[in-house]
Amino acid sequence: MNTIDTLPSSNAYAAPRAPWARMFLVLSGLLSVYTAYRIYQHTTAFTVGLDYFSEDFQKYWMTLLYIQLPVLFALGAGIVGWIWHTRDRNLDRLAPAEELRRYFVLLGQLMVFGIIAYLTASPVTEADAAWHQVTVRDTDFTPTHIMLFYFGIPVFITGAVVAFVYARTRLPQFAKRLSLPFALVVAGPVMIMPNVGFNEWGHTFFYAEELFAAPIHWGFVLLGWATFAAGGLLVQILSRIVELTKVAGSHPVIEAMQGPEGKQVTRRNESVKAEPAVAA
Amino acid sequence: MKVDKMPLPPAQTELRATEVGLTSAAEQHRAYVQADLLIIPLIVMLFMGIFSFHFALLVGDWDYWVDWRDRRWWPLVTPLALTVLPGVFGYLLWEKLRLPLGASLTILCLTLAAWISRYLNFHLFADFPMNFVWPSTYIGLGLIIDCLLLLTRSFFWTGLFGGFAFGLLVYPLNWPLLAPFQVPVELHGTMLTVADLMGYEYIRTAIPEYVRIIEESTLRTFGEAVTPLTAVFAGFLNIMNYWFWLWIGYLGSKAIWIRKIV
Repeated sequence: MNTIDTLPSSNAYAAPRAPWARMFLVLSGLLSVYTAYRIYQHTTAFTVGLDYFSEDFQKYWMTLLYIQLPVLFALGAGIVGWIWHTRDRNLDRLAPAEELRRYFVLLGQLMVFGIIAYLTASPVTEADAAWHQVTVRDTDFTPTHIMLFYFGIPVFITGAVVAFVYARTRLPQFAKRLSLPFALVVAGPVMIMPNVGFNEWGHTFFYAEELFAAPIHWGFVLLGWATFAAGGLLVQILSRIVELTKVAGSHPVIEAMQGPEGKQVTRRNESVKAEPAVAA
Repeated sequence: MKVDKMPLPPAQTELRATEVGLTSAAEQHRAYVQADLLIIPLIVMLFMGIFSFHFALLVGDWDYWVDWRDRRWWPLVTPLALTVLPGVFGYLLWEKLRLPLGASLTILCLTLAAWISRYLNFHLFADFPMNFVWPSTYIGLGLIIDCLLLLTRSFFWTGLFGGFAFGLLVYPLNWPLLAPFQVPVELHGTMLTVADLMGYEYIRTAIPEYVRIIEESTLRTFGEAVTPLTAVFAGFLNIMNYWFWLWIGYLGSKAIWIRKIV
């Protein structure tokens, strides 16, 4: 029987932990940026954000747009490029404990994605709904659109793509095959950008009103429904986590029949030994 | 139940540390807790985001404004759009995890997201009064669906009775909140409701006519029969609607792997 001590050094055992500190750091950064952006929007949207042709609008809003788009593109490309560059080229020799840790990292990334999804799809989107009902706009680049379409959606896309590329480059089952649910969850946010183009073209051409439930907006709904495939992705992730969280040194069938009190409990870095059989 | 352990050869009976991720039951427990701590907030955040987005773009104005909660479209559009996530994720949570929480949890998430957004966006940002933009209440509908699922353990019966009740009860459930806004008032010789009057006072620039009475056609002369008629019609439609979205949930929860896209 193999013990932990006999494992190859490259696969040295460490109990898997979710990357809580890094995750909270990323979340704190994201929440700070969203909050600061929202305060800026709240302060300037109705003062210098009403007339596209004014100098103030160009200064306070268009400048922000011209800065944020390349910054977000560079940041997204940089993170994805780094994940690809540092990909695991020996996935066939990946230790189960390390694989489990990477699943926790993936779940952490998906949780960040979930929070971005909420912020972008709810408060940021409905700021636009409220804005349209008290203004008559003269541009596609309104203060709420600049935050929603050219900041929120790109961040949303980046969050989805980062998690997808991480899974493709570090987790064997996602590297060998393509997860259709995961692909759909990523494709939805990505395809929102072309739909933004259609939406704005339609509003400048044949549908001036901004009723939120209007048919011109239903393309966004359809793309939002891509996230319904998150259930399939969750099943794929949980199925593998269940396999990886089986305890070494135990018989899976008998253990399942015994319940948790019948399991051996060992400390980390101790050799795992088979327990003697015990009659009921 | 306890059983005798069979003394089989170790190579066949024991999971090795090279094959599995953990070495003890305590570590297994910690791993499960960590997975829960990651997955539960993820699900809640996704439900808040997806449901809010979906509801805003399909129901939107019917739920944003108190005067839009009319007797023709609001009780019909609302349950049809509101059933989608309870159907899709209700299937996932019940079929895969045996949790009868799909409807209650998704609607609770929508409610939370709606209150945050109405306060931050419609009240603080756009300056509408909260009693003009408060979100309707739907949690009771979710509880009915989930309780029926728990009791019947059948999507068929849940859809038949729960789906129907879901459509039927949107209006009565909200009536205690809505009634004060339906009190008649007279303005310049025309009879309006309080909600209509608020709509006149707070002009919404993106509504096609800027100001209008939301209920159109001969509806305003039809008396009391309109509301129950719409509610029953919505109930019948919603039975099939619930079953349809359960099927979408079945498709969405499939763990499908493919070799390549093209």
